[in-house]
Amino acid sequence: MAEIFRSLVNIVSIVAIPLILFLFLGWGLVKKVKVYELFVEGAKDGFNVAIRIIPYLVAMLVAIGIFRASGAMEVLTSVLAPATNLIGMPAEAMPMALMRPLSGSGSLGVMTEIMKVHGPDSFLGVLVSTMYGSTETTFYVLAVYFGSVNVRNTRHALPAGLTADVFGMLGAVFICRILFGL
Amino acid sequence: MLNYVWIALVAVGILVAVGNDAGDEIKNTYRNDVPLEAVIVADGVPSAAMASWEGELVIPAESFNRFYGFNQETEEIRHEVKVTTGAGGESMIMIPVGETTPLLWREMARAGATKDRLTGTIRSIRFSQEGRQAVVQIVFEPVRFVKLKAVTQAAFDYASTAVTIALGLIGIMALWLGVMKVAEEAGAVKILTRLLAPITRRLFPEVPPDHPAVGAMIMNVSANMLGLSNAATPFGLKAMEELNKLNPKAGTATNAMCTFLTINTAGLILIPATAIAVRAAAGSANPGIIIGTSLFGASCATVAGLITVKLLQRLPVFRKDDPALVGRETRKGGDKDHG
Repeated sequence: MAEIFRSLVNIVSIVAIPLILFLFLGWGLVKKVKVYELFVEGAKDGFNVAIRIIPYLVAMLVAIGIFRASGAMEVLTSVLAPATNLIGMPAEAMPMALMRPLSGSGSLGVMTEIMKVHGPDSFLGVLVSTMYGSTETTFYVLAVYFGSVNVRNTRHALPAGLTADVFGMLGAVFICRILFGL
Repeated sequence: MLNYVWIALVAVGILVAVGNDAGDEIKNTYRNDVPLEAVIVADGVPSAAMASWEGELVIPAESFNRFYGFNQETEEIRHEVKVTTGAGGESMIMIPVGETTPLLWREMARAGATKDRLTGTIRSIRFSQEGRQAVVQIVFEPVRFVKLKAVTQAAFDYASTAVTIALGLIGIMALWLGVMKVAEEAGAVKILTRLLAPITRRLFPEVPPDHPAVGAMIMNVSANMLGLSNAATPFGLKAMEELNKLNPKAGTATNAMCTFLTINTAGLILIPATAIAVRAAAGSANPGIIIGTSLFGASCATVAGLITVKLLQRLPVFRKDDPALVGRETRKGGDKDHG
């Protein structure tokens, strides 16, 4: 069942891009709009948007880089370690939960490391890879998306995004314990 | 909120770095200026007169652990080294750092001026009878401010990483913005928008259901779910641009923007391709086993995020900056002036 679902989604994601290109541009042709001219017109903005993001991305990534390099992550992990027992999360998975919203490459590193030490099919291996798939890099998404429209007052986006992360992590722990429980 | 979190990341980072370095200084974690006794087994028969010779450094596990105050087991150290003797008669030791080098030494080498090797002075050297073995006392180059140096390096590295990421976006941004422009003009996304209107109207009550922003948001979320992140980001940024056109107060996030970004940060994805790839590379017997569990986790994140974002937007702290209300207020003020 899971295999069928997986291959189905795989096929869809491979076909999706060519299909979208064909349908959208083809539909433009049917509707007799000036396809090429409009494409170039729209594509012009690509450069501006990318450049507009730079200051926001620099601010965010530098802050996260400093935080990670200082060893603050280890301090935070040891401070929060007693709490992991309460929610049934192995203490070794804590760095993953903390890293996931902060840094995509960082959490990828944590996941790879844990799998190397404990094995990908161990409970911890399954748990951290589930955690990795359960949420996105909140800080990066906020910096890029808000940066692209020069929004500086992000209001409740960050607390909501972080709440989503917390529940994603809790959900991952919950489902892994039920299905592959210790 | 982001203000405080941002400054907290920087300030806590630097303070922790200072604290760690101070702790290292007090505990002398790297044993600065303390001689380490070791045996070097030379490749040939060295003599004090030779300018340089190579050999193998041997330190029993027990004495290595005792010297650095380690609790955990370290295997016996056997490592290639090079000894050079200067004109003044003082000997230097050089340890090239590789995969097998103890972690602490690698860290020390990285903190020093020479990244790929660890250097030290030999305080005393005593050759054995047959002349191939030498008992030495090594004092490594002092290592200080490891974390502060790392912080500096990270700040510079990440600043250029940010630019690399942004510049890498130019091409795919241009491609998808071009496609979206054609689609918009021809009305290609309209059908999709109309189909999903019952959902989008509830999630984004402030956005007219046939607004181009809705189409871009749908495209973004669908691309994300399929794991097409190269297409998802341009669609998402297009959506933000369209949402910003409805924003009466530039620079402040609207409720719709916050809701949209919450969906994005929750990262609902049908196939977590990256995690599966890493599992497969690590030799998993069943890499795809996490598809179901990830879907569950991401659904929890999405539902919790949406509930939170809708609750928080009513909170006075966040409500007072709501661009929609600000717009109404200024309009009201304008009316008063007329009266």
